[in-house]
Amino acid sequence: MNTIIFGALAVISLFIFLNLGKVKASRKQLNRNNRINRFGNQESSNIIEGESTEIKNQDKQ
Amino acid sequence: MSKHSALNTFGRSGNPAFTKNFGGSAYDLPLNQRMTLDGAVNKTGILLGLCFTGAFVGWNMPTLTMPAWIIGIILGFVTIFRSPAKSGSTAPLYALSQGIFLGGITLFFEAQFPGIAIQAIGLTFGILASLLFCYKSGLIKPTENFRLMIFSATMGIALLYFISIMIGLFGGGIPLIHSNGLFGIGFSLFVVSIAALNLVLDFDFIEEGAEKGMPKYMEWYGAFALMVTLIWLYLEILRLLAKMRSR
Repeated sequence: MNTIIFGALAVISLFIFLNLGKVKASRKQLNRNNRINRFGNQESSNIIEGESTEIKNQDKQ
Repeated sequence: MSKHSALNTFGRSGNPAFTKNFGGSAYDLPLNQRMTLDGAVNKTGILLGLCFTGAFVGWNMPTLTMPAWIIGIILGFVTIFRSPAKSGSTAPLYALSQGIFLGGITLFFEAQFPGIAIQAIGLTFGILASLLFCYKSGLIKPTENFRLMIFSATMGIALLYFISIMIGLFGGGIPLIHSNGLFGIGFSLFVVSIAALNLVLDFDFIEEGAEKGMPKYMEWYGAFALMVTLIWLYLEILRLLAKMRSR
């Protein structure tokens, strides 16, 4: 009986792990401000650094 | 406005197309070279398979237990302190050698307490699945403070075990923690809890790595981290059950 109960628990749990593990975590888990940041901000930024200057029509001429 | 203002601006641009530092971000990797959840879970499955194969060998050849343990420890340190990029070759060997060690240890416990092995295996995988559910659903949310707490407790336990082994070499021992009294069982329960919570950090590591598109080899590293925690958890559950059954 011991073997059947714990054996079944092991097999079912392993099945759950192999399937649930491939599912992305919920929004509640991912969209938080206090998440651990191990790899830094990898996303490339679209912001172009530098000063902006207004170009007037007079300058163009 | 200066004639060179546009050049100056584009020269300092954050756009990788305008700079020579192209290739610094993980997002620059092609899709098939990025870490995925599927890949990490599949590789964990491979490592578990190797661990079970090793356990079968260790169960039938218990003389290999200690050499396999030493080899496993060395491979573990090589994987952690060398480079994660090599974990594709070291992690499977680690799982195999630790499997042999676990097979031998399990045989030793099983001889004293029949049926303890299947109980420990069932509980280990049960904890794994339930904590994965808690993590995926957002019931447990790992934060920097959570990580600091678990890391500190893990290091404290590692130090205590190291001191215990050192004292053991000279014939002594730390009282109470290895006993089957209430304190000993309470200590084992605490260690099992810390080992289990380390699983949450491993899940988060894999999730974040896949989300940020880390290189493919990180799948092996994530699977390796999960295996290290699972092996520790299994050993602690085995010790806890042995203490409870020897009362």
